[in-house]
Amino acid sequence: MMLAKYWQVTKTSWENGFVYRLNFLMWRVRSVIRLLTVYFLWAAIFQRTDGFLSYDKAAMMTYILGTGVLATIVFSTRSIDVGTEIAEGDLSNYLLKPVNYFAYWFSRDLADKLLNILFVIGEIGLIIFFLRPPLIMPTASGLIAMFLLVSILALVLYFIFSFLVSAFTFWYPEHNGWPIRFFVFVLLEFLAGGLFPLDILPPVVFSLLRLLPPAYFMYYPLQVFLGRLSFWEGVGVVSGLIFWIFLLAIVLNLVWRRGIKVYEAYGR
Amino acid sequence: MSVIQISHLQKYYKVHEKEPGLKGSIKSLFARKYREVKAVDDISFEIGEGELVGFIGPNGAGKTTTLKVLSGLLYPTGGEVAVLGYTPWDRKPEFQKQFSLVMGQKNQLLWDLPPMETFILNKEIYEVPDLQYRKTLDTLVELLDVKDILKIQVRKLSLGQRMKCELIAALLHNPKVLFLDEPTIGLDVVMQKAMRDFIKEYNRKFKSTIILTSHYMDDVKELCERVIIIDHGKLLFDGKLSSVIDRFARNKIISVVFSGEVNQRKLAEFGDVREYDFPKVRINVPRDQAAKKASQLLNEFPVADIIIEEPPIEAIIREVFTGKMRPAG
Repeated sequence: MMLAKYWQVTKTSWENGFVYRLNFLMWRVRSVIRLLTVYFLWAAIFQRTDGFLSYDKAAMMTYILGTGVLATIVFSTRSIDVGTEIAEGDLSNYLLKPVNYFAYWFSRDLADKLLNILFVIGEIGLIIFFLRPPLIMPTASGLIAMFLLVSILALVLYFIFSFLVSAFTFWYPEHNGWPIRFFVFVLLEFLAGGLFPLDILPPVVFSLLRLLPPAYFMYYPLQVFLGRLSFWEGVGVVSGLIFWIFLLAIVLNLVWRRGIKVYEAYGR
Repeated sequence: MSVIQISHLQKYYKVHEKEPGLKGSIKSLFARKYREVKAVDDISFEIGEGELVGFIGPNGAGKTTTLKVLSGLLYPTGGEVAVLGYTPWDRKPEFQKQFSLVMGQKNQLLWDLPPMETFILNKEIYEVPDLQYRKTLDTLVELLDVKDILKIQVRKLSLGQRMKCELIAALLHNPKVLFLDEPTIGLDVVMQKAMRDFIKEYNRKFKSTIILTSHYMDDVKELCERVIIIDHGKLLFDGKLSSVIDRFARNKIISVVFSGEVNQRKLAEFGDVREYDFPKVRINVPRDQAAKKASQLLNEFPVADIIIEEPPIEAIIREVFTGKMRPAG
């Protein structure tokens, strides 16, 4: 019965998504253009050199195309609307009903991710078919399993992280949560390693960034995929993810509880 | 047995005050001034099972705030509240499955999908068994006559159609307690009547406890035996609608039809002449002098017909709200 509830949320979310066909299509176009921009930038660099720091062309091209997949798995989201729902009082609709708000949005996010993943597979397939970049594919099943595990944990971590950002709206409802969200987004792509792998940065900067949650969204999963980590380093990444998930979940729980108390159910 | 118990409920808000203009905006960047607003200030009442109570007051009286506290959306500043024995803001699923809040100003229907999709989603969220869901849905669809619009995108529906579907979405789980906040707002008179008939029928059929707020006195007059009047967060009256008149009305209206010429100046001495449309005249007179004034009129003027009336309830309540009237006696 409990699961049926959230399965229905997922299905309804898809139906809603199909209404916004154009929106979805534009979002995909944007993603592809972003990916191609970064791809051609690195392709140009590798025309003059065979290796860039510790990356050869195949590793770098795999990394860049990998950010396209990771962006879909980790970053694609509907819960981005949570801030607006708080600001405009639509949160009330859920507070009145026997439904867990986090589970509700997690179901909607999963629905969105699945739809996006279907598309990204096709898009990257086309890029590989036409541009034929050199690639590195993991063959060991252990590596693939580790990559999947790390990606799923990264998705959970981002979900909590994103909810925390939205929760600011409880205290600043005038802004719909956008100023902070915009700021976070601009930083995030860089901090997560969406434009280049973080370990090509100066060691001081890298040693700081590697400890922060965003590094887990793209950089670490792709390091696992490329086979650049030892087994124990992989275990370290999983432990880091679990640590951040627990920490942020506790913080979110506290912030949310306080937020609900200052929530004034505007406009209703 | 009382289903809703409120005792000494208080809800205070802090609001930020800004002086007008850009200068005020810049000032408020540095030093924000806050003021406390007492949206609900020490209100107590109880409502029994199956009652349909009208909750009336002008804008900003605290009606909606009270309903939000009763639904668990807001945490009160003080006082105690129990609905069906639960504390609303604990938001227990067992409680949530037994009530509904419908707001005329805000919707829960999924805007881009047909209403049917919201119904299906709510069925799952409230864990309504298939059979009960189908039975309830059929009954509601028939009562509200919306069979033809269930598959049309909500954004394409008229306000009236949407409001009917809002009601269905809110009633699919057969709530025992129903809070209706301005359910007829913005609707045309025909649709208002349809809504009223439905609410009456629903209350009769399911014995549900209903609190209704409305700006339209017709809603309240037709549906509610009991009314609770609040203003500025304070309770002004709680009792039978019919006794609002005894409690607040200070005047009666004498309607006269004259059979010949009258001296207007002399007539004005009798009381407050509200309408002068010769030969018909309406005069407001103090309640306790109504009989005396009527007999004086009969003696001193050529009268064809005379009636002493109670003022309409709308007028009384309007005067209560504008502060012209405090409880009489």
